[in-house]
Amino acid sequence: MSRENGRLHLWAFLQGIGFFPGGWRVEKATPDAVFQRAYYERIARMVEDARFDAIVFGDQLQGRDAAGRTPGRLAIPTLDPFTLLAVMAGVTSRVGLVATVSTTYNEPAEVAAKFAALNFISEGRAGWNIVTTVHPNSPWNFGEPELLEKSARYARAQAFVDAADAFWRQAAGHPAANAADALRNQWFDIAGTLDFPTSPQYRPVLVQAGQSPDGRNFAAQSAEAIFCPAPTIDAGRAYRDDIHERARALGRDPSKMLIMPGLAFILADTEEEAQRKHRHVLELADDQLCIEYLSESIGYDLTRLPANQPFPLDEICAACEFPAEDVRRMLTPAVEAGLSIADACRDYARKPRGHAIFVGTPEQMADRMETWIDAGACDGFTLQPGYMPSELELFCAHVAPLLQQRGLLRREYQGPTLRDHLLGEFRA
Amino acid sequence: MYLSISIDVSPRDGAAFARLGQQADRIEQAGADFVLLAHETGAGTLEPGRLEAVVTLPWIARRLATPVVVAALPAVHSVPFHIARALSAADFLTSGRAGWLPLLHGGARFDAAYGDAYHLPPGDRVAKHDDFIRATRALWDSWDQDALILNKDSGAYLDSAKVRRVDYRGPFFATMGPLNAARPPQGHPLLVRDLDDVAGSTIPADVVLGGADRLAGVDARGAVRLLKVTAATVEQGEALVRAGKAEGLHVAGPDAIDQLEALRRHYTRQPATGATARARLGLAAPANPYSKKVPA
Ligand SMILES: Cc1cc2nc3c(=O)[nH]c(=O)nc-3n(C[C@H](O)[C@H](O)[C@H](O)COP(=O)(O)O)c2cc1C
Repeated sequence: MSRENGRLHLWAFLQGIGFFPGGWRVEKATPDAVFQRAYYERIARMVEDARFDAIVFGDQLQGRDAAGRTPGRLAIPTLDPFTLLAVMAGVTSRVGLVATVSTTYNEPAEVAAKFAALNFISEGRAGWNIVTTVHPNSPWNFGEPELLEKSARYARAQAFVDAADAFWRQAAGHPAANAADALRNQWFDIAGTLDFPTSPQYRPVLVQAGQSPDGRNFAAQSAEAIFCPAPTIDAGRAYRDDIHERARALGRDPSKMLIMPGLAFILADTEEEAQRKHRHVLELADDQLCIEYLSESIGYDLTRLPANQPFPLDEICAACEFPAEDVRRMLTPAVEAGLSIADACRDYARKPRGHAIFVGTPEQMADRMETWIDAGACDGFTLQPGYMPSELELFCAHVAPLLQQRGLLRREYQGPTLRDHLLGEFRA
Repeated sequence: MYLSISIDVSPRDGAAFARLGQQADRIEQAGADFVLLAHETGAGTLEPGRLEAVVTLPWIARRLATPVVVAALPAVHSVPFHIARALSAADFLTSGRAGWLPLLHGGARFDAAYGDAYHLPPGDRVAKHDDFIRATRALWDSWDQDALILNKDSGAYLDSAKVRRVDYRGPFFATMGPLNAARPPQGHPLLVRDLDDVAGSTIPADVVLGGADRLAGVDARGAVRLLKVTAATVEQGEALVRAGKAEGLHVAGPDAIDQLEALRRHYTRQPATGATARARLGLAAPANPYSKKVPA
């Protein structure tokens, strides 16, 4: 079974309209379809036909506004992930369905119930991308003044996953040995679990994306698949080695976890055409859009400032919603380089969130993916189409078949559950 | 004559998945107007089902392609932000035929599972239920219905003046907003209430279920009234609907689907026009108290 799964794993990390903030304006983009069922049904079938392990939707718990102003030129990132995945479950039978859910602004009972339902309606294909929520405006939506400090968030995350697991094990008829401790502790005071209908995979596949030492330890402790940003092969290998090391120290088998760096992409028949498409999508992010984009990332409404002047650092740091020292560190290089607000924001919007971006032909993309796998830099990729749906279509039609011809990607699913898809020819 | 039914799975049924699909297909075939994703007790009250309904709704709505599909959820345990966000998506993806049924019954199970902080004196339960609904609706109201523009040429995605923080502060819930999801096509998804579950709420529901006495009371005023019937009481129920005491029947009991099929043979479905379920039921679009009048 393991060999036929291939040694390259593909996860489609989808946002409503794609990776680039200007992507919703591309000629082929369909921003209105993002609100319609048919769009998600078509994408789900396409990703399953290309034999991806899973579809993942990210999630955030903050309003999109900076200082009360919601951007007018940025697309809504994604609708509620469970809702989209539930729709996708209805038209597929194999592809995994992974929802991002925070452990900070939820209760284990609710999250356990939702994943039990997703697992049930998909007959064992659910996954959980476990996040702890970093945006400082999120707590306000839950009646709290500020975020828990990071190490407390990760301590709660670990306790949360253990408690949720106790619910799932109980419902499957195999109570966890540590259930009593998992349900009553410093974080939770749970007197009884809920009855869920059973499904083939007793609990969702656990996914994580820790970067900090606390985050990495949590991933090494719990995750079956791990996302990370990795701009180079060396960075990927270093991250993978580090997680494997931490897993071994915790007594876990590192071959039981996939390292899946993010990779955004733009494809075309020729490299020149791909570059042109890349330039075009960057141009569609006009100055006003880029200024809104950076505003959102620091929690300060830059649209009120003159765009041709440098950042007034002190003024911004006194009022921004993100921690002032982080914002100062982020903006200082632009101020020192003498950049105007518009120029600095344009630079920022070009490389969204620091993920690796591939621009080229299908052949080149397959080569790059194979090289990374051979170098031990990862077990596969968390793919982020530059814009939707056309770049995902190109990948499915032209890159996935190349990966299959090279024996890297499965031609058929080897089992019905998401956990079945993770088994592979690991070279830990 | 509207026809309503509930649907749920049993946790220890090895064939639950197939059975749920078959039931949904039969109900769709019969032509229900409302399907409640809820557990019906022997006594005829509704509780949240074994299968979490907010996640199940968008999946089952593919097979239940025409009725209003209603998610039952525990009213004093759910979080307004999560519910508002999920039901916004559900309402979009069902083209405006999502409903919600916040319930107090069955809460003991949830009290135990959610933890001590969720235990409430009985006298506070309706107040928290009402606060939950107000907070959730305030988040839907953080967007105007026409906030989205989606003009690729000009680059205008939405009108920033039509999205705002609501800073809702109630006795049990506080939430800032704006919601990171647009106002649902119905404005607010249909609020359904079991009058045997909640009495004395200060918030009128869009659709209510209950016996004849309950439907005659103040709690039913202005709502679409669905009379609860079983095989034994269905004929009386039909007479009451003819007499204008209710707009439809909610069928319950082990043979509920049989009853639904039998009733539908007598009462053909009325063609209704309107872009959303709310409009087809003749219910007004909800006002948005947070919306600013923008000068023309
Ligand atoms: C590919 C990728 C996708 C992510 N998606 C989300 C997301 O949807 N929601 C979220 O809150 N965080 C998301 N994160 C952030 C991580 O959860 C995590 O906070 C981040 O990697 C920093 O790690 P740290 O928490 O250890 O500092 C993502 C990270 C990566 C690398």
